Amino acid sequence: MGTIENKELQKIWKRVDTESNQKSKDELNLLLASKAKQTINKYIVMIGLSIAICLGLITWLIIASLNRQNDLIYLINNATLGVIIFISFIYYLSSFYKLQNKRYNHSLKGWLEARVKILSVWLNGRFSKLEFYLFPLLFILTFLSIHVYSADLNFMEVFKSEKFLEEDIWGMIVFTPIVLAGGFYTLIKTRKYCLKNLAFLRNLHDRLCNMS
Amino acid sequence: MKSDKKEFLKIISNYQGILYKVSLVYFKSKADREDNFQEIVYQLWKSYPNLQKTKSIGSWIYAVSINTSISRVKKESRIEYREKVPEVPDHFNNLIDKISKNESLELLLDAIHNLNEIDKSIMLLYLEEKSYDEIAEIIGITKSNVGVRINRAKKILKQNLKNSSYGNY
Repeated sequence: MGTIENKELQKIWKRVDTESNQKSKDELNLLLASKAKQTINKYIVMIGLSIAICLGLITWLIIASLNRQNDLIYLINNATLGVIIFISFIYYLSSFYKLQNKRYNHSLKGWLEARVKILSVWLNGRFSKLEFYLFPLLFILTFLSIHVYSADLNFMEVFKSEKFLEEDIWGMIVFTPIVLAGGFYTLIKTRKYCLKNLAFLRNLHDRLCNMS
Repeated sequence: MKSDKKEFLKIISNYQGILYKVSLVYFKSKADREDNFQEIVYQLWKSYPNLQKTKSIGSWIYAVSINTSISRVKKESRIEYREKVPEVPDHFNNLIDKISKNESLELLLDAIHNLNEIDKSIMLLYLEEKSYDEIAEIIGITKSNVGVRINRAKKILKQNLKNSSYGNY
């Protein structure tokens, strides 16, 4: 048979109906419950972990600042760090909510449009590369906050101390590039994956638009 | 809430064939199809409160199923090890076994898998004998474009079938 008639295709396709087994309502309920549980557990771990890290850091900053009320530079360092952490956390939560709250009950074109819009703002918007600047800044400020506090000296005195100039500076020279490289690698990888996803969705959307 | 869920399960139970077929069209491995089926049920439940806003239950289920599948296609294509997952229980296994025995259906499915993501959905709706109005609503294009697109997709599908062993069938 060289060519296949349209009706024949539909007839062949109809066999899927007769050959598929149906799940019972109980099985469907079980399926839904396990998926919902799986999803909720994943969110609880992700959000719970980020809340715990955030609260832990902010608590540390408050305690450390209260113990060093006379060291103005140290207070500025901690305040800056606290503000950045707080704003990043709120932004992270709202983005997470937006992404998870997406609904699939639109037409394919409408859904693609909404998805492309959200991803475009994240990946190509005004603040899309902010994390690349914030990450080293957060690392340096956190390092300073912990190091100065543990050295039990004033902010400026720490960097003039013998211990810093002879020992700590080597640790800094070795570990800072490793941490920064690891962090940047993760950020770049994640961004690349998201950009690929955006290109895929945009391509589908464009094809639909070209049809209209 | 409980009666809501009861009602929801009743609807899904009646329309689950759509979920199977969309998963069949978008995914090749049994494990992916089963995962996708589960994800669609979950996404349908999430958007169930908005069901009243849609014109028909069927269109709502098709739209959510297609959108969910497309959002997963990219993710799943990166996880090739899934193809090697040995144990896949129940329904899809039975269905695939039966389809495998049915050569023409298997070839048709192969040809559909070679279409792009949009043509897959258009072809599926065409094979399901949906009206142009319904296809336009689900895909979000105009009615006149539905016809053009169906013809184009059919042409590619038939070419795919010719290239496969269907030509000798």
